[in-house]
Parts: sequence; C-alpha cells; structure tokens
Amino acid sequence: MPLLYPLLLAAALFGVGLYGVLARRNAVLMLLGVELMLNAVNLNLVAFDAWFADAMHTGQVLTLFTITLAAAEIGLGLAIVLALYRAVRTIDVDRVGEDV
Amino acid sequence: MRSLGRHWVYVALTAALAVAVAIWAIPKVDDHGFFGALAAAPSSPPPLPSLSPDLFLVPAAAQIALLAVGIGLLVQIYSTAYLGHHPRYRSYALIIVLFLGAMLAVVGTSNLWVLLVGWEVMGLCSYLLIGHEWQTGEARAGAAKAFLVTRIADLGLVLAILVIGETYGTYDIIGAELAAADGARSSTAIGLLVLVAVMGKSAQFPLHTWLPDAMPGPTPITALIHAATMVAAGVYLAARLFPLYADSEVVLTAMAVVAGITMLLGALLALVQTDLKRALAWSTVSQLAFMFAAIATGDPEAGTDHLLSHGVFKALLFLGCGCLMRAVGSSALSAMGGLRDRMPTTFVTMTIGFAALAGIIPTVGFFTKDSVLHAVFEAGDGDQGVAGPVAYVLLVVALVTSFLTAAYATRLWVLAFFAPAPDGRAVHEAPRAMVGPLVVLAVATFALSIGQPFHHGIGVLGTLVALGGVGVVLWRWHSGSALDWSPRPLAAELGIDRAYDHWIPSAARMASRGVINVDSDAVDAYPRGSAVLSDAVSKGLSLVQSRNVQRYATVIAIGVVLLTVAAVVWS
Amino acid sequence: MTLAELVFLVLAVIAVGSALLSMTSGQLVHSALWLVVTLGAVAGCFLLMTAEFVAWVQVLVYVGSVVVLVIFALMLTRQSTGEKSAEVTGNRWLAAILGVVAAIGLGATMIAGFRGEEIEGRRIGTAGSIGHALFTDWVLPFEILSGVLLAALVGAIVISRSGSDR
Repeated sequence: MPLLYPLLLAAALFGVGLYGVLARRNAVLMLLGVELMLNAVNLNLVAFDAWFADAMHTGQVLTLFTITLAAAEIGLGLAIVLALYRAVRTIDVDRVGEDV
Repeated sequence: MRSLGRHWVYVALTAALAVAVAIWAIPKVDDHGFFGALAAAPSSPPPLPSLSPDLFLVPAAAQIALLAVGIGLLVQIYSTAYLGHHPRYRSYALIIVLFLGAMLAVVGTSNLWVLLVGWEVMGLCSYLLIGHEWQTGEARAGAAKAFLVTRIADLGLVLAILVIGETYGTYDIIGAELAAADGARSSTAIGLLVLVAVMGKSAQFPLHTWLPDAMPGPTPITALIHAATMVAAGVYLAARLFPLYADSEVVLTAMAVVAGITMLLGALLALVQTDLKRALAWSTVSQLAFMFAAIATGDPEAGTDHLLSHGVFKALLFLGCGCLMRAVGSSALSAMGGLRDRMPTTFVTMTIGFAALAGIIPTVGFFTKDSVLHAVFEAGDGDQGVAGPVAYVLLVVALVTSFLTAAYATRLWVLAFFAPAPDGRAVHEAPRAMVGPLVVLAVATFALSIGQPFHHGIGVLGTLVALGGVGVVLWRWHSGSALDWSPRPLAAELGIDRAYDHWIPSAARMASRGVINVDSDAVDAYPRGSAVLSDAVSKGLSLVQSRNVQRYATVIAIGVVLLTVAAVVWS
Repeated sequence: MTLAELVFLVLAVIAVGSALLSMTSGQLVHSALWLVVTLGAVAGCFLLMTAEFVAWVQVLVYVGSVVVLVIFALMLTRQSTGEKSAEVTGNRWLAAILGVVAAIGLGATMIAGFRGEEIEGRRIGTAGSIGHALFTDWVLPFEILSGVLLAALVGAIVISRSGSDR
C-alpha cells in the first residue's frame, strides 16, 4: 500500500477538523473538530510506524497515548463547557462574550 | 526722617549698590572721549552667544550708571516718606533695587545678550511698578499697555542682536564696533532694528503712547522711569551702538524724522495738559526726542549729556510733583495754585527744575540743550549724520520745540505756584525725607553745568527763544487771559490712541482669522487624519480583541499558516 | 491495485465524507453520529495498516466512550434558544479557506517528501507486541500518562462541582 494514502487522508481530515473548530458555533462541536484533528495525527503516526517497521512500535504506542490524552482532553473540555453553560446559559461561542 | 527707621534696610541696600557702582564707575568717567579707549577692550571677545557678564564701562555708560544709582537712591529715600505706609512697600522697594540692577546690566556690559536680559527685566519691573496700585483699573491698563508696547519694540532689539551676531560674528559690542571700524556692514538693517527697539523703550513716535499712560504708577517711580532707567536705556543703546549704523543715511534720516515729530508732538501736548504729572510725562517724550536728534546728527555724546542733565532735572520735577500731590491730594493743575508760600522749599527747587527744562542759563539744562542744538546746526553742512537740508529742518523744529518747552514749563510753574488757590485747605511742606532729595537734585542741576561747553551763536539764539517762550506765557498771564487752551485734537492727544484701539484689534482679528483658517484647514488635517487612521487601526485590532474564542483561534491558525509558509519559502 | 488498497480508499472516502457531514450538519446529534462513522472508518484504516490493537482501542475509546460523552454533553446543554446553535458562524468562509490551505499544504508536503514509498506490513501491531513494547520500552511514559489521566479526572470533577455549588 502506498504510504501516501493514509498521509493524504490525514491531511484531509486535519483540514476538515480545522474548519470545524473555527466555524462551528456550538462549543461541543468545536471539541469534535479537535478530535478530528487528533485522529488525523493518529493516522500519520500509525502510517509512519507501519512504513518504518519500528521494533519499539513507537508510532502505535504514541497513538495509544494520544487517544488517552484525547479522552482526558474531551473529559475536561466537556466539564468546562458544562460549567460555562451553567454560568451564562449558553455555549454558543460568539454569544458567550456578549453578556459579560 | 522718622519713617526712614522702618525702611532703612531697603535704603541701605540701595545705598550699598550705589557705593559699589560709584567705586566701579567713577574712575572710568574721565577716560578720553565718548567711547573711551577701545584698545582697553577685552582682547578676544567671545564668538558665540554667552551669558558671561563681560563687565565693561565706557565713559558715557559710567555716567549713566552713576546717574541711575544716584537717582535710585534718592527715590528710595523719598519713597520711605511718600509710600512708606503702603502695605506693599516691601515689594515696591525691592523691585526698585531690581530695576536699578537691570539698568546696570544694560549699561555695564559689553555682551549683547546680557544687555537684552537687563532690557527685558527693566520692562518687567516697569510693568510691576506702574501697576503697583493694581486695585485701580487705570493702573492695570497703563501697566499692560507699557508692557505690550515695549515688548513689541523689544522684538526689534532681539532681531538687531541676531543681525549683529550674523554680520560681525560676535555678540560683543566692543568686538562688533572694532570690526565695524574697518567697515560697517548691514548698517541699515541693524540701525532700523535698533531704532524700533529704542522707539519703544524711549517712547518715541509712534510708540510713545505708553509713557503718558504710565502715570498711575507711584510718582517716585515715574521719576525713576523718566529720569534714570527705562527711557534712558533706549537713548543709551542708540548712542552705544551708534558706530554700527553711523554710515547709514536711511537710519539717521528716519531717526531724525522720528525725533522731529516726537519733540514737537510732545511739547504741544505738554502745553495743553490739565494734569501736572501728565504734562511732565509729555515733556519727557519731547526731551527724549532732543537726545535722538543729537544722535541722528552724529553727536551721540551730546545726546547722552542731555540724557544726564534731563535725568537730574526731570527727577527733580517729578519728585517735586510728588510733594505737591501729597500736599493737595491730586495731580490736577486745577487743584494746585498758590503753593509758593506754603511750600517754600518745593517751590524753590521746582523753579530751578522748570528753569532747567526751559533751558535758562546757568542750569545744566541750558548747556546740554545748547550742545544738542549745536550738533544739529553742525550737521547742517552735511559732514556728519543726516543730510544738510534734513538737519536744517530739524534745527527749526528743535527751536520751535524749545520755544514751546519754555512756554509750557512757565505755564506749569505759574499754574502750580501762582494761580489763585482753591479755597479752604491747609497744605504743609513735605517731610524732610522728600524735600531732601529735591535739594540734592537742585544743587546737582547747577553743579553739573560746571565745565560744560558754551556755543556762542546757538547759545544766544536758544536763550532768546526760551526767553520768548517764557515771556509770551507771562505776558498772557499778566494780561489776565486763561492759560488753559486746548484745541480738540490736541486734547485728545491727536487720536493716536484711538487709531491704535481701532486698527490694531481689527488687524489682529483679521490675522487671527487667517490663522484659524490655516489651523482648521491645514494643521488640523494631521490630527484629524491621525484620528481616522487610529480609528481604522483600532477597528482592525479590535477583531483580535473580540471576546470571541473562535476569532482568537482563527487568528492563531492564520499566524501558524503564515509562519509555516514563510519558513518553507525562506529555507 | 490490491484489495487492501481498494478497501482503504473506500474507507478514506467514507471517513472524509462523514467528517464533512459531521462538521456541517445542522443537527447537533447528527454531527456526533457522523463523527462515529468517521472514527470507525479511521479505525478500519488502522486495521489495514497492520495496527490491530490501535484499531480496537480506537473503537473502544472513541466510538464507545468519547462519542457517548459528547452526546450526553449535547443533551445536557440543550438551549431553549438553541435553534441556531448547530449552525456555523460568520467566521466560516475564513475557516473554510484556512482548512483548505492547511490540507493542501500538508498534502503537498507529504507528496513532496514521501512519494513512491510503500507500506509493507512487516511488523503486525498485535496486542502482544504492543503490550510488550508498552511495558518494556515505554513503561515510564505510560506511568506518567496515568498520572495525567488522574489529574484530568480530578480536574473534571472539581470544575463540575464548583459550578454546581454556586
């Protein structure tokens, strides 16, 4: 399998994720965009690991770490979003600043 | 001299100053010639503007310095009685000392910038002293007018100093005059600027209007300003810088014209005044013009000589006038009269003063006026100073003025001392602290005439003219006709003030309107433009301060992309 | 073209397409569900790249827990005025341009650097081999990571509690 396939898929997913982070009004969906970008990174890591045939499985282990960190990140992020919602009764990012 | 006890500090201060100046100046008086020996000048004058004192006295300056401190001391003594109980006496007395110091700075330096400082400090002191009675609107207006008019003229001095520095490469008077001895340059420009400066300081037409309006000041101050300091500085400066513009026909002619107009105008206006002090003020204007006439005709020494003698007898007259005012409570001539018996000392001394003003031999006033007339007459053959015809016209004007001077001096004398007294008042002679200075000055009026030159033809002619003036007035007096005649234009002082009041504000208004237009159209464009620019910039920058997390993230992403592109492109 | 490549391309198309739908859908819950599809397709890609263990972890953690968490969050924050909440903001054109630029830039870099390289699949990332690597070479980062997770757990609890106390 050509190495370029997963790399280009990763680039496309990263672009879509970036668009989501910058364009979605809802804070939870912004976090989803972040998850997409992290997945693009994971794809890269796994692809290079497979291509390199690393004895330490560096790429795949780091992917595991990333997934773990992503889980932690989204846990914290959603907690913050909930706190925000309780504070200003909205999670629309362009309306959060208005009321202050 | 009871009041001297309370105020001895200020008198002692002035006396100390006078003694110091005397020790310094007296040895210099007898150097040869008007400017002394130029060889005694400092060898290398400073080439750049500096404020080093550069103390240096030419003989004429030494005389004027002695006159200034002498009259200043007498005025200070006089003031202890005249103004000793005034609540602001202390500041008044100290300002007099400052005034004298400034005058000494003007005459005692060869550095033009130091001279300028003294010149300006004098303007300030005259403002403060004329406005001493600032609770009256008249005093405030007079002080402001004196300050503004002399200030305008001071601009001429500043420019003159700059031109001198540019022309001769030095701001040292002696250095400039040594250079000018090899060939004067820019003499017309320098001369005209100096003329403007002294016209303001010495109250010459058309900048003369401040001097009569300075009358609300305390009378001793008037004596000081008219005799020894303020107006004397103008004449001194014109004489001192004479070598720098002596070869400019234009300047000398302009000065002669100004002097001729001013002397006639001053004498005519002095003749019609109903106020003794104001009449004496116009007399000062006229007498100063005599000095300028002498300078314009190439004899500055005659000018400064007349300045000295005029300083003595005009101080005498003003201080005497102060005694009369103290006695009758007013300076109006109608309030006086019949004071000969009540105030014998004042009468005698003021008689001497009026005689000197009229130019009656053997007072010093006769001799110095004689020298001035002689200088004007000598210039008639065109060897020095102005062209011959101008000098002859000036001589005629000066003789007419002499006639008028004698006439108004006699008129004032008669009205003050002989006219019937208003009823019901008790006047007494002034205290000794006031009369003492009068006696000193009266003696000086005679003493100074010792050794003065006498010019036969002009002397006889001048005496005849003066006697004619005296005689006419006395004849009118004895024939019973009133001495108060005042044609309307003269009574209004020729409407010069009104012209100033009308034209200067309208010109200023036009100029300021122009400035406003320039300001709003051209100058304001910059602040307005910068306001628009900063508004636009801040609107742009507010996009990154939007309290919108997404915008922040967008900006960050843009930055990352741009940095990456830049890194790829340049690596 | 091998079967594996063909399957990979199909999965890639599914992943990108569902990602686009997820990021543009007007319905919040639909977005989350389309994300599930994307993540699943990516997991398939992992599998094709001989990373079995990572693929299962992806399915378990992401599809199993993260997405459930997200859907709970969406339900908890449902707003009364939330009609517009699912939409994109006025920032979207700039965001779209940036996304395209980033994707093209990354893709161009990859093409320039790795054109012609092949993945041969010599080492299969089974649970055994990954576990061996994890507990020999990577044991220290693994332990540190557990500390990070614990901190995130505590932080999430604190943030939630302090909000409810108010």
